[in-house]
Amino acid sequence: MKLKKIAVSEEGFIFDPETGNSFTVSSTGLFILERLKKGMSLDEILRALLDEFEVDEETARKDLADFVQQLRLLGLWEDGKR
Amino acid sequence: MLKAGITGINAVDNPAPGIGVVKGLRTAFSDLQVVGLSYDVTEPGIFLASLIDRVFILPYPSRGKEPFFERLMYVREKTGLNLVIPNLDSELPLFISLEDELRDEGVSLFIPTKAQFELRAKDRLIRLAKRIGISVPETKMVSTEAELTKALDDMGFPVMVKGVFYEAKIAASYVEALKFFREISSRWGFPVIVQEVVEGDELNVVGVGDGEGGHFGLVAMKKLTTTSLGKVWMGVTIRNEALFESVEHFVSETKWRGAFEYEVKAAGSKLYLIEINPRFPAWLYLAVGVGVNLPERVAKAALGEVPSRDWNYEAGKLYVRYTEDFVTDMEVFKRIITRGER
Repeated sequence: MKLKKIAVSEEGFIFDPETGNSFTVSSTGLFILERLKKGMSLDEILRALLDEFEVDEETARKDLADFVQQLRLLGLWEDGKR
Repeated sequence: MLKAGITGINAVDNPAPGIGVVKGLRTAFSDLQVVGLSYDVTEPGIFLASLIDRVFILPYPSRGKEPFFERLMYVREKTGLNLVIPNLDSELPLFISLEDELRDEGVSLFIPTKAQFELRAKDRLIRLAKRIGISVPETKMVSTEAELTKALDDMGFPVMVKGVFYEAKIAASYVEALKFFREISSRWGFPVIVQEVVEGDELNVVGVGDGEGGHFGLVAMKKLTTTSLGKVWMGVTIRNEALFESVEHFVSETKWRGAFEYEVKAAGSKLYLIEINPRFPAWLYLAVGVGVNLPERVAKAALGEVPSRDWNYEAGKLYVRYTEDFVTDMEVFKRIITRGER
């Protein structure tokens, strides 16, 4: 499973060059996306979230899983077969 | 000097591609005279003297081959016309049947063959889709109200009700479907096409086939906003390998010659073929704007030159259509009505 090739601007505007769909994300979403683009694992991102934000591990883990699920629903997270 | 006849200069709420084609040619050729070929004295392009040098009214294609050919010969005599880029479905069969005669008279075209034109007709699209290996929404051809009822029972709602040549409407109920069936069949004849509505993104590709199985470039777009007639108002360029693969399969399988528009719906990663138009789409200027000047390539191919095949454009370029108004003298309108030319 990995993030699809997408363009992410510093302001949190996302463009999928394959479908033409665009989205906006919050600053936390952008924080996660930038790290996914760098190829960091979900565990590494979880640790980065805990370092950066005042949040307990359980909440951060759940929010991260929700965010990835959103990416999947929007077709931005692919299974790597294509 | 290139003297190009361009049809479809009606840049109205349901625009034809003519003005986009002219803008592409103007970008590419400095030594160019544009001859607008029009069927109606109110087409806005007639009045756009900055883009279109001369204009001639043509007889409707339904009047047959002879008056059409004679009129084109008159235009050639007056202007030295040496190329025509037809942009309307309804005139294409006539241009196809006249292609050899026009070439003999020094007027070149780069258009599909009769067989290619017929392959992508709406009532034959399923067969073509099978050949090129792409899905189509469930489709039934109906010619009677009984057949319509049966199709609706099988498919449920909503459904698209489409004319065999033009027009498509979404029906949400039996009453609505019956109304559209009657309206559309009275305008376009039979069969009427009843088609499943596939939810998904509408993706379109414009391209020019080289007639030998390859192409002179493709540009793909996703419609972002459309008018109430379903015409694109804003769009964005995309690069979608699965879509390009499908288009290239279509081009190689049919050895398509000339301009085309390939329309699909993308539901997740699955593509459904909706339509193939045998000419440029009205949003063609997007291709010109991102550096893939397809009208230039059609012109060069028609004239026996070697067009570029580069289509390495960027995804994420925005297409924005807008309206413009201007004031002109009554003189042009008078001339076009009384003389049929300006």
